[in-house]
Amino acid sequence: MPKNIVEMEIEAAIAELPDTKTLRLKWPENYDPSFKTGQFITVYWPDTPKYKRAYSLSSCALDKGYFEVTVKRDGKMGTRIVDWAAAGDKLFVIPPVGRFLPVYEDKKHLVCVAGGSGVTPFRGFAREATYRELRTRITILYSVRTTNDIIFNQEFRELEEKNPHFKFNVTCTRLAEEDPWSGRRGRISADWIKSIATDMENTVFYACGPTALVEGTEQLISKELGLPKEQLKLEKWG
Amino acid sequence: MSSLVPDHLKYAKTHEWVKVEGDTATIGITDHAQAELTELVFVELPAISRNLKAGEACAVVESVKTASDIYSPITGEVIEVNEALVDNPGSVNTDAYSDGWFFKMRLSDPGNLDELMSAEEYKVLIGS
Repeated sequence: MPKNIVEMEIEAAIAELPDTKTLRLKWPENYDPSFKTGQFITVYWPDTPKYKRAYSLSSCALDKGYFEVTVKRDGKMGTRIVDWAAAGDKLFVIPPVGRFLPVYEDKKHLVCVAGGSGVTPFRGFAREATYRELRTRITILYSVRTTNDIIFNQEFRELEEKNPHFKFNVTCTRLAEEDPWSGRRGRISADWIKSIATDMENTVFYACGPTALVEGTEQLISKELGLPKEQLKLEKWG
Repeated sequence: MSSLVPDHLKYAKTHEWVKVEGDTATIGITDHAQAELTELVFVELPAISRNLKAGEACAVVESVKTASDIYSPITGEVIEVNEALVDNPGSVNTDAYSDGWFFKMRLSDPGNLDELMSAEEYKVLIGS
């Protein structure tokens, strides 16, 4: 086994939604890796070493002593984690890598487009900015089917209270007409993005989630808004 | 990097390729699809003798990043599956059009083939 792969115990397995669970993976003693908010880890079970899955960290680089990943019931790994993973179980972890990194500069506005469990890395973005009391603006535009599909709703609302530069906006795409939800409905549109990103020059767009949402966002931003690719960071999940 | 799209195959919008030889069709996923999925770690194949309709979900692939259904591009009966993929799903990444084939079908409605795309049409779809 390569030296950089580490066995970690699941310290907590937290049900976020009926089909979504957060695993808190406890670092072993004297383990203090260098990593960045927004990166992903790759995990596998001891009994299936060839079968690996990568998950974005939903914790941030200032959360020491553990990694958190938030997993939807999807495929064999997602099903095993959501239905069976429990505190005390062990997973092997390949340390964080990836370039989906927040640009924490005072003048910047990070507009984070997410679909489904694609919101998980943005929890890390918002946490770090809030812990460090940064002035970087962060706005999440989160597309879910219904209000029952919003991951981290309470934590994002609490972060909004603590951090005046952070906003969490949800749009529901498949709500029944009679649903009492008073927030936005429908898909993420160019008009909605334009109303949020008023200083395009200093905006960095992030998109994370299913391929259709990420590619749709790429089209909106590069074609309809005419922004260069350097202002757009993508994390596609296929 | 542009994806490989061999001229002699037909393609479905859902990124499967089809190679027709007589009344038999070999099916796999395209180079573009494997690149989007990234490293495959699991493949579930359809049962032999299963009758499939065009567009029916019939196999599953899972990569390090995601899990996806694979759809039958044509109507017919599954007559052979590539068992080697179960032990070595990565061969789809290394050779999507040869060792990485998924299953073979006996065509029951050759008219289905007209609904598939040519290599040129598929290149337009994927922007290659």
